[in-house]
Amino acid sequence: MNSYKFDDISVGLEEHFSVKVDADKLDKFLEISGDTNPLHTDSKYSKSKGFVDRVAYGMLTSSFYSTLVGVYLPGKYCILQSIDIQFSKPVYIEDKLKISGKVTYINESYKQLEIKATIANQENKKVSKATIKVGVMGE
Amino acid sequence: MTRKEVFNGVQDIFRDIFDEDDMVIEDKTNSDDVEEWDSLNHINLVSAIEKEFKIKFALVELMTLKDVGAMVDLMMEKLK
Repeated sequence: MNSYKFDDISVGLEEHFSVKVDADKLDKFLEISGDTNPLHTDSKYSKSKGFVDRVAYGMLTSSFYSTLVGVYLPGKYCILQSIDIQFSKPVYIEDKLKISGKVTYINESYKQLEIKATIANQENKKVSKATIKVGVMGE
Repeated sequence: MTRKEVFNGVQDIFRDIFDEDDMVIEDKTNSDDVEEWDSLNHINLVSAIEKEFKIKFALVELMTLKDVGAMVDLMMEKLK
């Protein structure tokens, strides 16, 4: 886990990590969320709607934005304040995602960062983007 | 920029932050007058004003502000 302190951070600082989406993650998200929509649980139904297979939950892949700020940028001293997400492409089981974030603005008075983040799949296609605001706590 | 232009720009930011297209603020408007003006939205307001007007506030300056008018006056000083 990274432990960037507020004074260590400047506009342009970037971090990224990768993760593979597997069926187990979808099953666990189903258990936690109770989202039984067949687009995520029924391969036949998803295909009938024009998708390649069942689609990973958008909020499951978005949970990696939580990991981005909570573990990588800024990491330990992060407190998530807001997140605005736009989804552009579906994510499927076995996709390998790269989650990237870059500090684009710093509110020095209130120690708040604005981070522009993206998730891209193994074909380097952007599947979602987000604007995240986090506070940086003291040690 | 004139004070009126700055004030109108601040009003647009309030409308955006609080999702009220017809929101009208006055010099005497303060956080007691706007239900959703909590600490997080206050940070959002300050950040949006800093970005839009390309100015920076110090925490000590922000702590002394009592209403929108005082904020606009401080902005006019920084925009000189």
